[in-house]
Amino acid sequence: MAEVLEIKEHHTVHQLPTADNGEGGEKSPMNISYGKTMMWYFLLSDAFTFSAFLIAYACLRLGHKWWPNPNDVFNAMPFMGHHKIPMGFVSIMTFILIMSSVFVVRAVQEGHRMNKKGVMYWMFWGILGGAAFLGCQAWEWQHLLAEGMRPFYNVFYEGKDGLTTLWNVHEQGKPLFSPGPVAFGALFFGITGFHGFHVFTGVCLNIWGFFATANGTFEKRGHYEMIEKLGLYWHFVDLVWVFVFLAFYLM
Amino acid sequence: MSDHQLTEEEYKAQVAGVWKVTVILSIVTVVEVAAALILGPHLPKWIMNPFYAIASIAKAFFIIGEFMHLKYEKRVFMLSLGLPLFFLLWAIIAFGVEGNYLHKLLYLIK
Repeated sequence: MAEVLEIKEHHTVHQLPTADNGEGGEKSPMNISYGKTMMWYFLLSDAFTFSAFLIAYACLRLGHKWWPNPNDVFNAMPFMGHHKIPMGFVSIMTFILIMSSVFVVRAVQEGHRMNKKGVMYWMFWGILGGAAFLGCQAWEWQHLLAEGMRPFYNVFYEGKDGLTTLWNVHEQGKPLFSPGPVAFGALFFGITGFHGFHVFTGVCLNIWGFFATANGTFEKRGHYEMIEKLGLYWHFVDLVWVFVFLAFYLM
Repeated sequence: MSDHQLTEEEYKAQVAGVWKVTVILSIVTVVEVAAALILGPHLPKWIMNPFYAIASIAKAFFIIGEFMHLKYEKRVFMLSLGLPLFFLLWAIIAFGVEGNYLHKLLYLIK
């Protein structure tokens, strides 16, 4: 029979902060939990990082006399062969990401009602949307890489009358120097890649959240705040996409 | 932080609110893309770009305010995030304007 040994904790002169001894710590200020506050300020810092990249994009692009026209670069659509549909595929991607964000909002709302099945249902669709977006982005990358685009090698150059012309590396060979402005690939792959990395980590976290919900972790805890924090991250990812879409495809 | 249990009406209203914002976001996106495809090739950039920027900022307001629930938080918290974001936006616009000026200076003025 094991005897339970009682261990008395000896507090030193400095006591642990509690709401009673005036050092606070238990009640989070501004009526929002510490966890959510932390996520918000992390997202703010991440916004600065993304903004730095987008400002670099703006400066490098404006520093060139000529830059490829986005409508002539990003006009491919899966299953549509060589048909050029400017802004088509990226609009679909934007819609997929916005919808997956909406699904995660619904999951959070079901979490407020402690509806475990509801949370699982909506998180599932949110995860699927995120994975679909990643698949689309992978296709877009693959398509550009197949055309010969590399981080420091741009196959879109200034043709007749300043029109964006594709240098067909398969037919015309691959010149040593990049036909078009060199920074195009690095900026595109770098920024969409950084964003895609955030989407990927978001999907992984959401998958974990889905299984934690299924296991009853949050039921036991009494609240679904973790899902809310994951939701904040996911909405941030959607928000960044809105501005990446703006910078690369619209402007 | 524990919320008070929602009544059935409040819940339904919240759900309806989310779908409403979704529709608004979709409409803004469709208008943006349609403008880019139909008007974009014809109107000059200095008209189209501010239009796209304003539409994207409008979308950002909806996503941050409604989806991320920031509109319903305490005002001081909203400001602690809103002010830095406002300055960040100012920085982006300022750099964009400077870059545009440099572009004109370098390439368009003989």
